[in-house]
Amino acid sequence: MHAWQVVFSVPKHGNSEAEWEDGAAAAPGDPATGRGPRFAVADGATQGFGSTRWAMRLVEGFVGEGAGGLDEIPDLAAEPLHRWLRRTQDRWRHDPLLAQATDMQVYKLETVGSFATFLGCEFVDLDGPHPHWSAVAIGDTVLFQVRGDELVATFPPIPAHGFGVNPHGLPTGPKALEAVVDRLLFDEGVLLDGDVIYLATDAFADWVLREEEGDRRELWTTLAGLDHPERFRALVDDRRRANDMVNDDVTLMRVSISAAGPENLVVCL
Amino acid sequence: MYRQSVSRSTPGCVVILLDRSDSMKLPWGKSGDSLAVGAALAVNNILLDMCVKATTEVNAPVRHYFDVGVFSYGARLTGPGGEGVEPAFGGPLAGRGLVPLPELAAHPMAVRQEPSIDLMPVNVKMPVWVDPAHGYRTPMCQAVAVAGGYVFDWAAAHPDSFPPIIINITDGMVTDNPYDGATIQEWVERLTAIETRDGRALFFNVFLSPVEVPEIVFPSDPGGLPLPGPDLFALSSVLPAPMVENARVDGYDVRAGAKGLAFNVGRSTLLRVLQVGTRVPDRSA
Repeated sequence: MHAWQVVFSVPKHGNSEAEWEDGAAAAPGDPATGRGPRFAVADGATQGFGSTRWAMRLVEGFVGEGAGGLDEIPDLAAEPLHRWLRRTQDRWRHDPLLAQATDMQVYKLETVGSFATFLGCEFVDLDGPHPHWSAVAIGDTVLFQVRGDELVATFPPIPAHGFGVNPHGLPTGPKALEAVVDRLLFDEGVLLDGDVIYLATDAFADWVLREEEGDRRELWTTLAGLDHPERFRALVDDRRRANDMVNDDVTLMRVSISAAGPENLVVCL
Repeated sequence: MYRQSVSRSTPGCVVILLDRSDSMKLPWGKSGDSLAVGAALAVNNILLDMCVKATTEVNAPVRHYFDVGVFSYGARLTGPGGEGVEPAFGGPLAGRGLVPLPELAAHPMAVRQEPSIDLMPVNVKMPVWVDPAHGYRTPMCQAVAVAGGYVFDWAAAHPDSFPPIIINITDGMVTDNPYDGATIQEWVERLTAIETRDGRALFFNVFLSPVEVPEIVFPSDPGGLPLPGPDLFALSSVLPAPMVENARVDGYDVRAGAKGLAFNVGRSTLLRVLQVGTRVPDRSA
Protein backbone atom coordinates (compact mmCIF):
# COMPACT_ATOMS: atom_id res chain seq x y z
CA MET A 1 0.00 0.00 0.00
CA HIS A 2 0.99 3.58 -0.49
CA ALA A 3 0.88 6.40 2.06
CA TRP A 4 1.11 10.08 1.21
CA GLN A 5 0.73 13.10 3.38
CA VAL A 6 -0.17 16.75 3.26
CA VAL A 7 0.42 19.25 6.08
CA PHE A 8 -1.71 22.28 6.85
CA SER A 9 -0.76 24.91 9.40
CA VAL A 10 -1.93 28.30 10.63
CA PRO A 11 -0.17 30.44 13.27
CA LYS A 12 -1.98 32.13 16.12
CA HIS A 13 -4.18 34.97 14.98
CA GLY A 14 -2.06 38.08 15.31
CA ASN A 15 1.23 36.28 14.70
CA SER A 16 3.16 35.95 11.45
CA GLU A 17 3.82 32.67 9.66
CA ALA A 18 7.38 32.82 11.01
CA GLU A 19 6.02 32.71 14.57
CA TRP A 20 4.31 29.32 14.10
CA GLU A 21 5.78 27.23 16.93
CA ASP A 22 4.67 23.75 15.91
CA GLY A 23 6.70 21.30 13.91
CA ALA A 24 5.76 18.68 11.32
CA ALA A 25 7.86 16.27 9.29
CA ALA A 26 7.49 13.11 7.24
CA ALA A 27 9.87 10.75 5.49
CA PRO A 28 9.40 7.72 3.24
CA GLY A 29 10.32 4.24 4.35
CA ASP A 30 13.74 2.72 3.86
CA PRO A 31 13.61 -0.60 1.95
CA ALA A 32 17.19 -1.37 2.98
CA THR A 33 16.33 -1.52 6.67
CA GLY A 34 12.67 -2.39 6.43
CA ARG A 35 11.71 0.76 8.28
CA GLY A 36 8.34 2.15 7.18
CA PRO A 37 7.35 5.73 6.40
CA ARG A 38 7.38 8.02 9.41
CA PHE A 39 5.28 11.03 10.35
CA ALA A 40 5.60 13.39 13.30
CA VAL A 41 3.92 16.51 14.67
CA ALA A 42 5.03 18.54 17.71
CA ASP A 43 3.63 21.59 19.44
CA GLY A 44 6.25 23.89 20.98
CA ALA A 45 5.49 25.72 24.22
CA THR A 46 4.17 29.21 23.60
CA GLN A 47 6.04 30.63 26.57
CA GLY A 48 9.22 28.68 26.01
CA PHE A 49 12.51 29.77 24.49
CA GLY A 50 13.51 28.46 21.07
CA SER A 51 10.27 26.47 20.87
CA THR A 52 10.16 26.34 17.09
CA ARG A 53 13.73 24.99 16.91
CA TRP A 54 12.89 22.43 19.56
CA ALA A 55 9.68 21.25 17.89
CA MET A 56 11.42 21.00 14.51
CA ARG A 57 14.42 19.13 15.92
CA LEU A 58 12.06 16.58 17.44
CA VAL A 59 9.99 15.89 14.36
CA GLU A 60 12.92 15.96 11.93
CA GLY A 61 15.01 13.74 14.16
CA PHE A 62 12.19 11.25 14.58
CA VAL A 63 11.70 10.80 10.85
CA GLY A 64 15.43 10.82 10.06
CA GLU A 65 15.96 14.32 8.70
CA GLY A 66 17.86 15.62 11.73
CA ALA A 67 21.56 16.10 12.32
CA GLY A 68 22.18 12.41 12.77
CA GLY A 69 20.24 11.45 9.67
CA LEU A 70 19.01 7.94 9.13
CA ASP A 71 21.62 6.47 11.48
CA GLU A 72 19.96 7.95 14.54
CA ILE A 73 16.30 7.21 13.95
CA PRO A 74 15.00 5.85 17.26
CA ASP A 75 13.01 2.67 17.52
CA LEU A 76 9.54 3.11 19.00
CA ALA A 77 10.40 1.92 22.50
CA ALA A 78 11.14 3.80 25.70
CA GLU A 79 14.88 3.22 25.97
CA PRO A 80 15.89 4.05 22.36
CA LEU A 81 13.65 7.11 22.50
CA HIS A 82 15.26 8.17 25.78
CA ARG A 83 18.75 7.98 24.27
CA TRP A 84 17.61 9.83 21.16
CA LEU A 85 15.97 12.57 23.25
CA ARG A 86 19.17 13.10 25.23
CA ARG A 87 21.12 13.58 21.98
CA THR A 88 18.43 15.88 20.62
CA GLN A 89 18.49 17.99 23.79
CA ASP A 90 22.25 18.26 23.60
CA ARG A 91 22.16 19.49 20.02
CA TRP A 92 19.42 21.99 20.82
CA ARG A 93 21.39 23.41 23.76
CA HIS A 94 24.55 23.72 21.70
CA ASP A 95 23.01 25.30 18.65
CA PRO A 96 25.61 27.73 17.18
CA LEU A 97 22.81 30.27 16.94
CA LEU A 98 22.94 30.67 20.72
CA ALA A 99 26.31 32.43 20.51
CA GLN A 100 24.31 35.54 19.61
CA ALA A 101 21.94 35.34 22.60
CA THR A 102 21.43 38.32 24.91
CA ASP A 103 21.67 38.03 28.71
CA MET A 104 17.88 37.77 29.02
CA GLN A 105 17.77 35.10 26.32
CA VAL A 106 20.51 33.08 28.02
CA TYR A 107 18.65 33.45 31.32
CA LYS A 108 15.47 32.09 29.78
CA LEU A 109 17.34 29.31 28.00
CA GLU A 110 18.85 28.16 31.30
CA THR A 111 15.89 28.70 33.62
CA VAL A 112 12.92 27.91 31.40
CA GLY A 113 13.99 26.37 28.11
CA SER A 114 11.13 24.85 26.22
CA PHE A 115 9.04 21.77 25.83
CA ALA A 116 6.79 20.33 23.18
CA THR A 117 3.97 17.88 22.97
CA PHE A 118 4.86 15.20 20.46
CA LEU A 119 3.32 12.50 18.37
CA GLY A 120 5.44 10.26 16.16
CA CYS A 121 4.11 7.46 13.99
CA GLU A 122 5.51 4.76 11.70
CA PHE A 123 3.57 2.70 9.19
CA VAL A 124 4.82 -0.84 9.48
CA ASP A 125 4.52 -3.73 7.00
CA LEU A 126 2.58 -1.67 4.47
CA ASP A 127 3.23 -4.24 1.76
CA GLY A 128 3.10 -7.23 4.05
CA PRO A 129 0.39 -9.32 5.62
CA HIS A 130 -0.14 -7.12 8.70
CA PRO A 131 0.01 -3.44 7.80
CA HIS A 132 -0.34 -1.27 10.90
CA TRP A 133 0.62 2.01 12.46
CA SER A 134 2.79 2.20 15.55
CA ALA A 135 2.98 5.45 17.47
CA VAL A 136 4.48 7.20 20.48
CA ALA A 137 2.93 10.26 22.09
CA ILE A 138 3.24 12.65 24.97
CA GLY A 139 0.82 15.48 25.59
CA ASP A 140 -2.24 16.46 23.64
CA THR A 141 -1.13 16.21 20.03
CA VAL A 142 -3.47 13.54 18.72
CA LEU A 143 -3.63 10.82 16.06
CA PHE A 144 -7.06 10.08 14.55
CA GLN A 145 -7.61 7.03 12.36
CA VAL A 146 -10.65 7.32 10.11
CA ARG A 147 -12.22 4.54 8.06
CA GLY A 148 -15.05 5.74 5.84
CA ASP A 149 -16.87 8.15 8.09
CA GLU A 150 -15.98 6.35 11.28
CA LEU A 151 -13.31 7.30 13.78
CA VAL A 152 -11.74 3.95 14.61
CA ALA A 153 -8.82 5.12 16.79
CA THR A 154 -7.82 8.14 18.83
CA PHE A 155 -4.34 8.23 20.30
CA PRO A 156 -3.67 9.35 22.98
CA PRO A 157 -7.24 8.77 24.17
CA ILE A 158 -8.05 12.32 25.24
CA PRO A 159 -11.77 12.86 25.78
CA ALA A 160 -13.64 15.83 24.33
CA HIS A 161 -13.13 18.82 26.64
CA GLY A 162 -10.06 17.06 28.03
CA PHE A 163 -7.53 19.43 26.54
CA GLY A 164 -5.88 21.35 29.37
CA VAL A 165 -3.48 24.23 29.45
CA ASN A 166 -0.73 22.26 31.16
CA PRO A 167 -0.13 19.16 29.04
CA HIS A 168 2.86 16.88 29.43
CA GLY A 169 5.62 17.42 26.89
CA LEU A 170 9.22 16.73 25.97
CA PRO A 171 11.49 19.22 27.76
CA THR A 172 14.78 20.77 26.71
CA GLY A 173 16.16 20.43 30.24
CA PRO A 174 18.19 17.23 30.87
CA LYS A 175 16.93 16.79 34.45
CA ALA A 176 13.30 17.17 33.44
CA LEU A 177 13.67 14.55 30.73
CA GLU A 178 14.16 11.72 33.23
CA ALA A 179 10.76 12.42 34.73
CA VAL A 180 8.83 12.42 31.46
CA VAL A 181 10.20 9.33 29.77
CA ASP A 182 7.86 7.21 31.86
CA ARG A 183 4.96 9.25 30.51
CA LEU A 184 5.54 8.27 26.90
CA LEU A 185 2.51 6.43 25.58
CA PHE A 186 2.61 3.76 22.88
CA ASP A 187 -0.11 2.26 20.73
CA GLU A 188 -0.71 0.68 17.36
CA GLY A 189 -3.58 -0.13 15.04
CA VAL A 190 -4.34 -2.13 11.91
CA LEU A 191 -4.25 -0.23 8.60
CA LEU A 192 -6.66 -0.97 5.76
CA ASP A 193 -6.83 0.29 2.20
CA GLY A 194 -8.67 3.64 2.25
CA ASP A 195 -7.87 4.56 5.84
CA VAL A 196 -6.91 8.13 6.60
CA ILE A 197 -4.67 9.11 9.52
CA TYR A 198 -4.72 12.64 10.90
CA LEU A 199 -2.13 14.09 13.28
CA ALA A 200 -3.40 17.28 14.90
CA THR A 201 -2.11 19.70 17.51
CA ASP A 202 -4.31 20.42 20.50
CA ALA A 203 -6.54 23.30 19.40
CA PHE A 204 -7.56 21.50 16.22
CA ALA A 205 -7.79 18.09 17.88
CA ASP A 206 -10.02 19.55 20.57
CA TRP A 207 -12.36 20.93 17.89
CA VAL A 208 -12.32 17.63 15.97
CA LEU A 209 -13.38 15.65 19.00
CA ARG A 210 -16.23 18.01 19.80
CA GLU A 211 -17.41 17.97 16.16
CA GLU A 212 -17.16 14.21 16.13
CA GLU A 213 -19.88 14.08 18.76
CA GLY A 214 -22.18 15.83 16.25
CA ASP A 215 -22.23 15.45 12.48
CA ARG A 216 -19.22 13.17 12.01
CA ARG A 217 -19.90 12.57 8.30
CA GLU A 218 -19.70 16.32 7.65
CA LEU A 219 -16.52 16.59 9.73
CA TRP A 220 -14.58 13.82 8.02
CA THR A 221 -15.81 14.81 4.56
CA THR A 222 -14.59 18.34 5.19
CA LEU A 223 -11.17 17.25 6.40
CA ALA A 224 -10.73 14.69 3.62
CA GLY A 225 -11.63 17.36 1.09
CA LEU A 226 -9.10 19.95 2.19
CA ASP A 227 -7.10 20.57 -0.96
CA HIS A 228 -5.48 23.98 -0.47
CA PRO A 229 -3.81 25.83 2.44
CA GLU A 230 -6.25 28.70 2.04
CA ARG A 231 -9.23 26.40 2.56
CA PHE A 232 -7.65 25.17 5.77
CA ARG A 233 -6.93 28.73 6.89
CA ALA A 234 -10.53 29.70 6.13
CA LEU A 235 -11.81 26.79 8.20
CA VAL A 236 -9.63 27.73 11.17
CA ASP A 237 -10.44 31.44 10.90
CA ASP A 238 -14.15 30.66 10.76
CA ARG A 239 -14.02 28.45 13.85
CA ARG A 240 -11.93 31.01 15.75
CA ARG A 241 -14.41 33.77 14.95
CA ALA A 242 -17.18 31.54 16.27
CA ASN A 243 -15.17 31.01 19.49
CA ASP A 244 -15.24 27.33 18.64
CA MET A 245 -11.45 26.95 18.41
CA VAL A 246 -8.93 28.59 20.72
CA ASN A 247 -6.42 31.00 19.24
CA ASP A 248 -3.39 28.75 19.06
CA ASP A 249 -0.94 27.58 16.43
CA VAL A 250 -2.75 24.89 14.48
CA THR A 251 -1.22 22.00 12.56
CA LEU A 252 -2.97 19.14 10.77
CA MET A 253 -1.15 16.37 8.91
CA ARG A 254 -3.36 14.13 6.78
CA VAL A 255 -1.94 10.80 5.66
CA SER A 256 -3.93 8.81 3.11
CA ILE A 257 -3.44 5.07 2.66
CA SER A 258 -4.36 3.36 -0.57
CA ALA A 259 -3.43 0.28 -2.52
CA ALA A 260 -3.55 2.34 -5.69
CA GLY A 261 -1.65 5.45 -4.70
CA PRO A 262 -2.71 9.04 -5.44
CA GLU A 263 -4.47 9.72 -8.71
CA ASN A 264 -3.25 13.29 -9.01
CA LEU A 265 -0.33 15.37 -7.88
CA VAL A 266 -1.60 18.76 -6.73
CA VAL A 267 0.75 21.71 -6.42
CA CYS A 268 -0.66 24.69 -4.53
CA LEU A 269 0.62 28.06 -5.73
CA MET B 1 -15.34 35.10 29.20
CA TYR B 2 -11.69 35.38 30.29
CA ARG B 3 -10.60 32.98 27.54
CA GLN B 4 -8.62 35.24 25.25
CA SER B 5 -4.95 34.37 25.03
CA VAL B 6 -2.28 37.00 24.58
CA SER B 7 -0.76 37.63 21.18
CA ARG B 8 0.60 40.71 19.53
CA SER B 9 -2.81 41.47 18.06
CA THR B 10 -4.52 40.91 21.39
CA PRO B 11 -1.98 41.96 24.03
CA GLY B 12 -2.89 42.00 27.70
CA CYS B 13 -2.74 44.89 30.15
CA VAL B 14 -1.32 44.68 33.67
CA VAL B 15 -1.38 47.63 36.05
CA ILE B 16 0.21 47.51 39.48
CA LEU B 17 -0.80 50.01 42.16
CA LEU B 18 2.09 50.31 44.61
CA ASP B 19 1.58 51.72 48.10
CA ARG B 20 4.36 54.17 48.96
CA SER B 21 2.79 55.45 52.17
CA ASP B 22 4.80 56.12 55.33
CA SER B 23 3.98 52.79 56.95
CA MET B 24 5.81 50.98 54.15
CA LYS B 25 8.99 51.88 56.03
CA LEU B 26 8.25 49.17 58.61
CA PRO B 27 10.41 46.04 58.52
CA TRP B 28 8.92 43.07 56.70
CA GLY B 29 9.02 40.09 59.01
CA LYS B 30 12.49 38.62 59.40
CA SER B 31 13.69 39.76 55.98
CA GLY B 32 15.62 42.71 57.39
CA ASP B 33 14.21 44.91 54.65
CA SER B 34 11.28 47.30 54.80
CA LEU B 35 7.89 46.60 53.25
CA ALA B 36 8.76 49.21 50.61
CA VAL B 37 12.00 47.45 49.65
CA GLY B 38 10.32 44.05 49.53
CA ALA B 39 7.37 45.31 47.48
CA ALA B 40 9.64 47.07 44.97
CA LEU B 41 11.71 43.89 44.71
CA ALA B 42 8.59 41.85 43.98
CA VAL B 43 7.37 44.35 41.39
CA ASN B 44 10.74 44.33 39.63
CA ASN B 45 10.70 40.54 39.72
CA ILE B 46 7.25 40.28 38.15
CA LEU B 47 8.18 42.81 35.45
CA LEU B 48 11.28 40.74 34.67
CA ASP B 49 9.13 37.61 34.72
CA MET B 50 6.81 39.11 32.10
CA CYS B 51 9.74 40.18 29.91
CA VAL B 52 11.28 36.73 30.14
CA LYS B 53 7.99 35.06 29.19
CA ALA B 54 7.83 37.21 26.07
CA THR B 55 11.44 36.36 25.14
CA THR B 56 11.15 33.57 22.62
CA GLU B 57 14.24 33.23 20.46
CA VAL B 58 17.73 34.45 19.61
CA ASN B 59 17.77 37.51 17.34
CA ALA B 60 14.10 38.17 18.08
CA PRO B 61 12.82 41.12 20.13
CA VAL B 62 10.73 40.66 23.26
CA ARG B 63 7.19 40.19 21.98
CA HIS B 64 4.54 42.79 22.64
CA TYR B 65 2.33 40.55 24.74
CA PHE B 66 1.47 43.15 27.40
CA ASP B 67 1.19 46.82 28.09
CA VAL B 68 2.34 47.39 31.64
CA GLY B 69 1.97 50.23 34.13
CA VAL B 70 3.05 50.76 37.73
CA PHE B 71 1.45 53.63 39.63
CA SER B 72 2.55 54.57 43.13
CA TYR B 73 0.45 56.29 45.78
CA GLY B 74 1.76 58.04 48.85
CA ALA B 75 5.17 59.68 48.55
CA ARG B 76 5.81 61.26 45.16
CA LEU B 77 9.35 61.12 43.81
CA THR B 78 8.85 63.50 40.89
CA GLY B 79 7.36 66.93 40.29
CA PRO B 80 6.56 68.87 43.42
CA GLY B 81 6.99 65.83 45.67
CA GLY B 82 4.65 65.49 48.62
CA GLU B 83 1.68 63.12 48.59
CA GLY B 84 0.02 61.91 45.45
CA VAL B 85 -0.21 59.39 42.64
CA GLU B 86 2.32 59.07 39.83
CA PRO B 87 3.74 56.58 37.33
CA ALA B 88 6.42 54.76 39.29
CA PHE B 89 8.88 53.83 36.56
CA GLY B 90 12.29 55.43 36.96
CA GLY B 91 15.00 56.17 34.43
CA PRO B 92 14.11 56.47 30.74
CA LEU B 93 10.48 55.48 31.37
CA ALA B 94 9.88 58.07 34.13
CA GLY B 95 6.48 59.67 33.82
CA ARG B 96 5.16 57.02 31.43
CA GLY B 97 1.80 55.38 32.17
CA LEU B 98 1.36 52.17 30.18
CA VAL B 99 4.48 50.92 28.45
CA PRO B 100 4.65 48.14 25.80
CA LEU B 101 6.62 45.15 27.05
CA PRO B 102 9.42 45.37 24.44
CA GLU B 103 10.06 48.98 25.46
CA LEU B 104 10.00 48.03 29.12
CA ALA B 105 12.54 45.25 28.53
CA ALA B 106 14.84 47.63 26.69
CA HIS B 107 14.76 50.45 29.24
CA PRO B 108 15.27 49.49 32.88
CA MET B 109 16.51 52.30 35.10
CA ALA B 110 19.45 50.12 36.16
CA VAL B 111 20.82 46.60 36.13
CA ARG B 112 22.18 45.85 39.60
CA GLN B 113 22.65 43.28 42.34
CA GLU B 114 19.38 42.64 44.17
CA PRO B 115 18.62 40.22 47.00
CA SER B 116 16.89 37.00 46.08
CA ILE B 117 13.12 37.27 46.49
CA ASP B 118 12.95 33.97 48.35
CA LEU B 119 15.31 35.13 51.10
CA MET B 120 18.12 32.87 49.99
CA PRO B 121 21.43 34.43 51.03
CA VAL B 122 22.36 35.31 47.47
CA ASN B 123 22.24 38.40 45.33
CA VAL B 124 21.36 38.26 41.66
CA LYS B 125 22.00 40.80 38.96
CA MET B 126 18.69 41.92 37.52
CA PRO B 127 17.06 44.85 35.76
CA VAL B 128 15.27 47.37 37.96
CA TRP B 129 12.37 49.58 36.89
CA VAL B 130 10.95 50.74 40.23
CA ASP B 131 12.75 51.99 43.36
CA PRO B 132 11.40 51.64 46.91
CA ALA B 133 10.00 54.75 48.58
CA HIS B 134 7.71 55.62 51.49
CA GLY B 135 6.11 58.67 53.00
CA TYR B 136 2.80 60.42 53.65
CA ARG B 137 -0.64 58.79 53.75
CA THR B 138 -2.45 56.23 51.55
CA PRO B 139 -4.46 57.90 48.71
CA MET B 140 -5.74 54.64 47.27
CA CYS B 141 -8.94 56.14 45.83
CA GLN B 142 -6.90 58.55 43.76
CA ALA B 143 -4.64 55.71 42.61
CA VAL B 144 -7.65 53.72 41.40
CA ALA B 145 -9.00 56.84 39.67
CA VAL B 146 -5.72 57.61 37.89
CA ALA B 147 -5.15 54.01 36.83
CA GLY B 148 -8.76 53.83 35.68
CA GLY B 149 -8.15 56.58 33.15
CA TYR B 150 -5.32 54.66 31.54
CA VAL B 151 -7.23 51.37 31.72
CA PHE B 152 -10.31 52.91 30.09
CA ASP B 153 -8.31 54.18 27.12
CA TRP B 154 -6.47 50.88 26.80
CA ALA B 155 -9.66 48.79 26.82
CA ALA B 156 -11.22 51.01 24.18
CA ALA B 157 -8.19 50.43 21.96
CA HIS B 158 -8.07 46.65 22.60
CA PRO B 159 -11.69 45.43 22.55
CA ASP B 160 -10.74 41.83 21.73
CA SER B 161 -8.06 41.42 24.39
CA PHE B 162 -8.17 39.71 27.76
CA PRO B 163 -9.53 42.38 30.13
CA PRO B 164 -7.11 44.62 32.06
CA ILE B 165 -5.69 43.26 35.30
CA ILE B 166 -5.09 45.74 38.14
CA ILE B 167 -3.17 44.52 41.19
CA ASN B 168 -3.07 46.71 44.28
CA ILE B 169 -0.18 46.17 46.74
CA THR B 170 -0.82 47.88 50.08
CA ASP B 171 -0.18 47.69 53.79
CA GLY B 172 -2.70 50.12 55.11
CA MET B 173 -6.10 51.73 55.31
CA VAL B 174 -7.37 54.07 52.62
CA THR B 175 -6.92 57.70 53.72
CA ASP B 176 -8.66 59.59 50.89
CA ASN B 177 -12.07 57.94 51.12
CA PRO B 178 -14.24 59.47 49.68
CA TYR B 179 -12.26 61.05 46.86
CA ASP B 180 -13.81 63.44 44.38
CA GLY B 181 -17.30 62.54 45.59
CA ALA B 182 -16.93 58.77 45.34
CA THR B 183 -16.00 56.09 47.86
CA ILE B 184 -13.31 53.49 47.32
CA GLN B 185 -16.07 50.98 46.57
CA GLU B 186 -17.48 53.28 43.90
CA TRP B 187 -14.04 53.91 42.38
CA VAL B 188 -13.40 50.19 42.17
CA GLU B 189 -16.87 49.61 40.69
CA ARG B 190 -16.05 52.17 38.01
CA LEU B 191 -12.71 50.49 37.38
CA THR B 192 -14.15 46.99 37.07
CA ALA B 193 -16.99 48.24 34.88
CA ILE B 194 -14.37 48.82 32.19
CA GLU B 195 -14.49 45.81 29.91
CA THR B 196 -13.41 44.19 26.71
CA ARG B 197 -15.45 41.63 24.80
CA ASP B 198 -13.71 39.02 26.95
CA GLY B 199 -14.93 40.33 30.28
CA ARG B 200 -14.69 43.06 32.89
CA ALA B 201 -11.45 44.44 34.28
CA LEU B 202 -10.08 42.48 37.24
CA PHE B 203 -9.05 44.15 40.49
CA PHE B 204 -6.88 42.11 42.84
CA ASN B 205 -5.46 43.09 46.23
CA VAL B 206 -2.37 42.07 48.13
CA PHE B 207 -2.12 43.17 51.76
CA LEU B 208 1.33 43.20 53.36
CA SER B 209 1.83 42.80 57.07
CA PRO B 210 4.96 43.85 58.98
CA VAL B 211 4.42 41.07 61.50
CA GLU B 212 4.58 37.36 60.91
CA VAL B 213 1.02 36.09 60.92
CA PRO B 214 -0.66 33.31 58.95
CA GLU B 215 -1.02 34.05 55.24
CA ILE B 216 -4.46 33.89 53.66
CA VAL B 217 -4.33 33.48 49.89
CA PHE B 218 -7.30 33.50 47.49
CA PRO B 219 -10.04 33.20 50.15
CA SER B 220 -13.59 32.37 49.15
CA ASP B 221 -15.09 33.73 52.36
CA PRO B 222 -14.33 36.97 54.25
CA GLY B 223 -15.03 35.29 57.59
CA GLY B 224 -11.98 35.32 59.85
CA LEU B 225 -10.10 37.98 57.93
CA PRO B 226 -8.75 40.69 60.24
CA LEU B 227 -9.21 44.34 59.29
CA PRO B 228 -9.06 45.58 56.60
CA GLY B 229 -9.49 42.09 55.15
CA PRO B 230 -13.29 42.12 54.77
CA ASP B 231 -13.17 45.45 52.93
CA LEU B 232 -10.42 44.26 50.59
CA PHE B 233 -12.32 41.01 50.06
CA ALA B 234 -15.37 42.97 48.95
CA LEU B 235 -13.29 45.09 46.59
CA SER B 236 -11.48 42.15 44.99
CA SER B 237 -12.64 40.41 41.82
CA VAL B 238 -13.46 36.72 41.73
CA LEU B 239 -10.59 34.80 40.16
CA PRO B 240 -11.59 33.78 36.63
CA ALA B 241 -11.32 30.11 35.70
CA PRO B 242 -7.88 30.27 33.99
CA MET B 243 -6.33 31.90 37.07
CA VAL B 244 -8.01 29.39 39.36
CA GLU B 245 -6.28 26.73 37.27
CA ASN B 246 -2.96 28.61 37.53
CA ALA B 247 -3.32 28.88 41.29
CA ARG B 248 -4.13 25.20 41.67
CA VAL B 249 -1.13 24.25 39.56
CA ASP B 250 0.92 26.37 41.96
CA GLY B 251 -0.43 24.35 44.87
CA TYR B 252 -3.09 26.67 46.25
CA ASP B 253 -6.35 25.20 47.50
CA VAL B 254 -8.70 27.44 45.52
CA ARG B 255 -12.40 27.01 46.09
CA ALA B 256 -15.42 28.21 44.14
CA GLY B 257 -15.86 31.96 44.37
CA ALA B 258 -12.26 32.55 45.47
CA LYS B 259 -11.24 36.20 45.32
CA GLY B 260 -8.06 37.71 43.94
CA LEU B 261 -6.92 38.63 47.45
CA ALA B 262 -3.80 37.70 49.36
CA PHE B 263 -3.58 38.75 53.00
CA ASN B 264 -0.57 39.10 55.29
CA VAL B 265 1.71 37.62 52.66
CA GLY B 266 5.46 37.23 52.84
CA ARG B 267 7.87 38.21 50.09
CA SER B 268 8.01 34.96 48.17
CA THR B 269 4.22 34.56 48.39
CA LEU B 270 3.79 38.10 47.05
CA LEU B 271 5.73 37.16 43.93
CA ARG B 272 3.80 33.91 43.50
CA VAL B 273 0.50 35.75 43.82
CA LEU B 274 1.64 38.31 41.26
CA GLN B 275 2.58 35.47 38.93
CA VAL B 276 -0.84 33.85 39.27
CA GLY B 277 -2.57 37.18 38.76
CA THR B 278 -0.61 38.14 35.65
CA ARG B 279 -0.74 34.80 33.86
CA VAL B 280 -3.59 35.09 31.41
CA PRO B 281 -4.94 32.17 29.38
CA ASP B 282 -2.30 30.62 27.26
CA ARG B 283 -1.82 27.45 25.32
CA SER B 284 1.17 26.05 27.13
CA ALA B 285 1.96 24.01 24.06
